[in-house]
Amino acid sequence: MTSTGATGAAALSLPGFGRTEGAVRRVYRTERRKLASQLAIRLVALICLVGPFVFTGILKVQSGSPTDTLYGVWVHSSGFAVSLVLLAFAGSWGFPIIAGIVAGDMFSSEDRYGTWKLVLTRSVTRRDVFFGKLLAAATFLIGLVVLTAVSSLLAGVLLVGDQPLVSLSGTLFSSGKSLALVLISWLECILPALAFGSLAVLFSIATRNGIMGVIGPGLVALAMQLLLLVGSGIWMHMLLVGSAFGGWHALFDAHPFYGPLLVGVIVSVLWTAACLSAAWAILGRRDFAGTPANRRPGWAIPVRVAGALVGLIALLAIAGNWGPVGVTATRLQADLIPTFNRLTILQQRELGRPVAPGARLNIVLPSCSRRGSTSRGPGDWICTLNVLIPTAGSLPPQPTPVTYDVSVQSDGCYKAQSPPAFIGQQLMRDSQGHNVVNPLYTIYGCFNTM
Amino acid sequence: MAAVRASGLAKHFESTCALDAVDLTVEEGEVRGLLGPNGAGKTTLLRILLGLVRADAGSVQLFGRPLDTSNPSALAGVAGFVEDPSFYPYLSGRVNLELLAELDGGEASARIVSVLERVGLAARAGDRLSGYSTGMKQRLGIAASLLRAPRLLLLDEPTAGLDPAGVREVGELVRELAAGGAAIVLSSHQIGEVENVCDSFTVLRRGRVVWDGTGGELQARAQASTYALGTSDDPRALEVAERREGIRAVPARDGGLVLSAEEGCLDPFALALGEAGVAVRRLELLISPLESMFYALTAEPSVDPNKPAGREERAFAET
Repeated sequence: MTSTGATGAAALSLPGFGRTEGAVRRVYRTERRKLASQLAIRLVALICLVGPFVFTGILKVQSGSPTDTLYGVWVHSSGFAVSLVLLAFAGSWGFPIIAGIVAGDMFSSEDRYGTWKLVLTRSVTRRDVFFGKLLAAATFLIGLVVLTAVSSLLAGVLLVGDQPLVSLSGTLFSSGKSLALVLISWLECILPALAFGSLAVLFSIATRNGIMGVIGPGLVALAMQLLLLVGSGIWMHMLLVGSAFGGWHALFDAHPFYGPLLVGVIVSVLWTAACLSAAWAILGRRDFAGTPANRRPGWAIPVRVAGALVGLIALLAIAGNWGPVGVTATRLQADLIPTFNRLTILQQRELGRPVAPGARLNIVLPSCSRRGSTSRGPGDWICTLNVLIPTAGSLPPQPTPVTYDVSVQSDGCYKAQSPPAFIGQQLMRDSQGHNVVNPLYTIYGCFNTM
Repeated sequence: MAAVRASGLAKHFESTCALDAVDLTVEEGEVRGLLGPNGAGKTTLLRILLGLVRADAGSVQLFGRPLDTSNPSALAGVAGFVEDPSFYPYLSGRVNLELLAELDGGEASARIVSVLERVGLAARAGDRLSGYSTGMKQRLGIAASLLRAPRLLLLDEPTAGLDPAGVREVGELVRELAAGGAAIVLSSHQIGEVENVCDSFTVLRRGRVVWDGTGGELQARAQASTYALGTSDDPRALEVAERREGIRAVPARDGGLVLSAEEGCLDPFALALGEAGVAVRRLELLISPLESMFYALTAEPSVDPNKPAGREERAFAET
């Protein structure tokens, strides 16, 4: 069939023809309205709004804290830590699931309801429909991220307080700086969230199956979480868009480094571009020929897509050792020792003991070694710090070993915990008699793996 | 200017030939019936005209413009639906129309109230689609088409699911639009539903055109009509029928007679029955002449069903 463009003059002379320049905007408005009227979207918005308050409320009435998550031990000490813990949860699971709910059924629902023929016979092209839908999905996704960010901050500050936040280097950030960093961290997660939204769009278009589109991004996020545990090379880990959600970690170092943030931005943009290009290549070439009884989409395409994904994940797992090793004993020691040092000073000050400006612990012969067969890479480590404790009189200081079990992630962030023999219990009584978190009980830190 | 000028259209779905060298021309103000049994290619042809499916070969011009689906103006002035009209079930009928009007832009939004009234859905417009009957969805589909104030309306079996009153209303609406200059293509596999509405017909079988012409031309070639006849004395009526030219009658299974009457032979036969003292108690049209012709045109060939329709076959169909 020949296909050449019609003249605009001829087109404009006929009724039923709207202005072409606003076609994407018109699709955007209709899609926005459709999304807003869907129960699932309303429920997600409600959860994003109320969920942080419920989470913080539950934390308030119980003594425990989610110590496995970065900043988890500080949720009773600063409202900003509450927001960061929620951000960590959202980055792992929340945003991929929200992206799936918002964008994963946007295109496949037109197949399910049989409404492609309705939409594509109006005064819009399929290109207009594609971009209009993308814009609507992006608007809702960004809106839900912002809603969660604001809600988590309000919940944290209102229910816990706006106390200064302990940095990942053991220093204290003022409330103002903490607020700014938390906001930047939430904003940083918008790009990887959009990348997962693009993945949902690709699933939705490629499989024409809403279930695959909705749960697909969540499954991919799970696969990425597992892949981050495999191998010690940094390149494959950097290419996983799931790791882009952790780009904000480095901002909370006393000497922030921006490499992970930059890589996360680039990887998110690349993922978004690749997914959307593939999605448009499929949609643009597609015939809308209905679904005769003998050619129903069924599960054949989703199974094929799932098979391809499993193959891809296997390949990525094999590529886990690709590139230089990011987690080494030297880097871990170089970050843990000064952090321990600063947190010890913080602890002493909270206990009301005099600490001279510039004071530091004398740590000798530190050693970190990885448990397991290899001596480098993410996983479980043991670090021993020999602290020279001054003794009375003229006797030389005696080395006191402090051993930390350190769980190190592929992005260089770690959690270190030690038996209370030297560092004390999780809670201690400060100089005013209040129960506060012992800064040395659980140490969080991040070092640059690049 | 022709509203539709399609020539040499071909479309295959994997190994199935849906259309083969199909030509179609529809002038403004014309109501064209697109007829054929299920699987004849009617819906595929309408999908191509609506830009939903790309033809493998051939060309389409709408109002003199080549159909280019990448151009938002490609379907300017064109409306319609294929298969059953589908909408978003979680929205009301009115909101569905509002969304479509938004997509159309221009003055479409201002027509929503009037088209809902035109198709008789104004009172139920606020109800969710999931509560609509098939006939109501059909009416909403027509309303959605009317939003575009179409000059070319492509309707795929628009009376499916409608009650008799609804069928009549659709017929009146189509004639009204055609009187205003719109070109209309109605597809159906039941010629009886559209024979009184259409000016011309294109009959498809197995993806090929087996007849193309006006209703008058089709009528001229039409075969005898078939009636159900009930009388006061069926054996006597049978005897009278056997003596009449152009009349054939056989006893019906459930009583009465099945009568085949050629054009102009029915009235003399009825008079002859009266003269013979036989009262006519029931006379009901079973198959109209156009229907008879339609069945002849679309009958499956008995010799070689896989043989494509050719010149000989078309000649057979036209006899």
